[in-house]
Amino acid sequence: MRLPLTGIRIVEMGQLIAIPHAIKLLGDMGAEVIRIESCGRLDNYRTHSLYENSTYGRHWDRAANFYEQNRNKRSLTLDLTNERCIGALRDLVSISDVFAENFTPRVMRNFGLEYDDLRKVKPDIIMASSTGYGYTGPWSDYGAIGFTTEATSGLAHITGYRDGPPVLPEIPYADYTAAEHTAFAIMAALAHRARTGEGQFIDVSQSETLTSTIPEAMLDWSVNGRIADRMGNADGVMSPHGCYPCKGRDRWIAIAVGTDAEWQGLCAALGKPEWASDGRFADEGARWEHRDALDALVGAATVGWEQGPLQDALQAAGVAAGAVLDGKGLLFDEHLRARGFYEVARHSEITGMPPLPYTSRPWRFSETPGGLRSAAPTLGRDNWYALGEMLGMGDAEVGALEEAGAIGTQPASGRAPRVVGVEEQIRRGLIISNDGDYRERVREAYGDG
Amino acid sequence: MADRALEGARVLDLTHQVAGPYCTKLLADFGADVVKVEPTKGDAARRFAPFYRDEAHPDKSLLFAYLNTSKKGVTLNLKTATGKSLLERMVGEADILVENFAPRVMEGLGLGYQALRAINPALVMVSISNFGQQGPYRDYKAADIVHYALGGLMYIIGSADREPLKHALRQTQFKAGTNAATAALIGWHHARYTGQGQHIDVSIQECVASALRDTTSLYTYAGSVRQRQPAHTGDMPRSPVATADGYIVPIHFGGAVDWDAAADFLGEPSLREERFATAESRADNAEGLQAALEAGMLRWRKFELMREAHKRRGHIYGVVHSPAEALASEQYNARGYFADIEHPAFGRARYPGAPFIMSKTPWQAASAAPELGQHNRDIYCGRLGLSPDELGALTAAGVV
Repeated sequence: MRLPLTGIRIVEMGQLIAIPHAIKLLGDMGAEVIRIESCGRLDNYRTHSLYENSTYGRHWDRAANFYEQNRNKRSLTLDLTNERCIGALRDLVSISDVFAENFTPRVMRNFGLEYDDLRKVKPDIIMASSTGYGYTGPWSDYGAIGFTTEATSGLAHITGYRDGPPVLPEIPYADYTAAEHTAFAIMAALAHRARTGEGQFIDVSQSETLTSTIPEAMLDWSVNGRIADRMGNADGVMSPHGCYPCKGRDRWIAIAVGTDAEWQGLCAALGKPEWASDGRFADEGARWEHRDALDALVGAATVGWEQGPLQDALQAAGVAAGAVLDGKGLLFDEHLRARGFYEVARHSEITGMPPLPYTSRPWRFSETPGGLRSAAPTLGRDNWYALGEMLGMGDAEVGALEEAGAIGTQPASGRAPRVVGVEEQIRRGLIISNDGDYRERVREAYGDG
Repeated sequence: MADRALEGARVLDLTHQVAGPYCTKLLADFGADVVKVEPTKGDAARRFAPFYRDEAHPDKSLLFAYLNTSKKGVTLNLKTATGKSLLERMVGEADILVENFAPRVMEGLGLGYQALRAINPALVMVSISNFGQQGPYRDYKAADIVHYALGGLMYIIGSADREPLKHALRQTQFKAGTNAATAALIGWHHARYTGQGQHIDVSIQECVASALRDTTSLYTYAGSVRQRQPAHTGDMPRSPVATADGYIVPIHFGGAVDWDAAADFLGEPSLREERFATAESRADNAEGLQAALEAGMLRWRKFELMREAHKRRGHIYGVVHSPAEALASEQYNARGYFADIEHPAFGRARYPGAPFIMSKTPWQAASAAPELGQHNRDIYCGRLGLSPDELGALTAAGVV
């Protein structure tokens, strides 16, 4: 089937999330993606979250973080300190539509891979650079990851428990916001190119994209001179509005009540008709006024319930409520499974990994669904294809590059990443639990694809 | 005005509140022609705080003003036969239609995808909803906090010994709006080459769940479940740490932290103590390590600490900006990030501007958010050819 982006070729020099996730979204919809990697400087995500938490064999081809961001892509390793490799990268750009990267501007300058360099080999190239703070400005050469750009965006300042410090998630959240905007930017640039034949340079500041999603806070300051305090899960209007305990270890439910009808529904579902006639909670304004008292009452009532049945009982009563799902809960959530949200990939034999389910994408197309066509590539899997088939380099030349170590399929450093044992991870609070029979549970739910 | 990237794209905007309007704002600010169709009582977001000087007026919601730049606004009652037929005429002229009603509402109005496709086979219809157009939770109610919960993000925000947290404000709505805008352009790209339109189903829950890195694969790979952060990790914290004048996030990137170097850098000799010498002993003395780090950071002012850190390899510290500091930021202002926009109801204000920079086709808020029904005459008379009398009659009948 022709997918929407069939015929669009993207050269990705990405690492971690900000560019790899953006390009994953486009790859799922049919774009051909060639990922430029380095044996000398491995993508950090090839060293994290290893299969079976173990470093045996080709561990760089068994990292969950890498597989989540890089499906449907080819892998070409190039030593960019080698002239012939830089030449090959430029040649690849000359037959591509998009070049996307998330290194600091200094790195791209040093390699001669800036927009002004690349438009010489491909005048209508679309180049997307995603950096922590932007390609220009006094902070442009500052390195960054999602945790620091969430801090500078303004979002961290207003997030956290009441009277506590700013709080960040356990994942680099800002990278995803940047990636989502970058995918949009590339599509907008493709639309412009289709109309005018003109390429261009896209400069994404990961910090700025996130600031664009907190206009309430930015405008309340710029117009009214006001900055809201951190207020945990409280809402400015609704109450009860929060996260309440359920039966079991670290089990919670989120509840948001706005209208009087929802409030009556909550009282009925929790078996507390007396709340409904309590004057302190008579309407939205009164409930908000007494929100602390209400939170304590609701929490004391929810703690006797199992998470799932309470979610269903509240929803049946017309109340917005949802179980606080952990990673395992997501994987086995009946709704996400019914929608086919996780897609199973078969892996190369050399990884020793069975077929496994992966996160898909945030949309469903009725006519051209797209999806997972192949698992993320093993390191350098497509060296011969990309250099030989795509660029027409002779076997002898590719062989010589391999001989010289300029391309390859394993990291230059033989050092394995340090893995913390499961027991130790639990002791340090890095994970809360571990199921010994996870292989069976995953296979039972998702099969072999 | 410079040419913008999406000149020529015609977007019919049936969205309200936040997720849908952010999607169409992205399209509009990059040049698409967006006609926002509001019910006669107006988009509910007109009643969302904050307001200009707390004046709760439908044209003074700052959130609404932000979300609806560059759009033309008309009113239309879709529950009337005339209203519906006017909309159908606009569908015939549109490339993209975006809506974020609850599933089945469009169907109920006789405006489901099959009906719209019969009018315009190349139409890309984007539907944003809480849980998608199908599935067991389709009709469940939601709010931002419920998406945090069922999207899996909430479980990993906050302290391990306390309740899970959501981010402030309405992140899930913005996430959905961004993804919907990308999907709309992918669909439009396909339609331009093939003439084939389609229906795109965007679930807000999935927008959250698709951006969690290895949260589920930690389980499929190793059977592990990640939770919120413990108070003391025995390592360099990823959470904000207090300095003398605010918070900083002290990331040491690219392998294990060199603790001797950290002791020198922060000026905190206690970090060299024997009890912090190995990973195991740091884990055993995690609380003491955290205290030593906090003592070291407190000697610094945050911007100075960030600048000094970046002179060292792998020290990618980031300050926590308050909204005021972000607005005053040397970096943001050097890039011209903020935009001053004149609004008829409350004058000039400084908004977050281009979410990213396009060298040839720059972002631009071409106009302020429309007042309710501001472009009724332009659209109904100018484009659909109604006479002023016909428009007057529709207004009197409550259709517009």
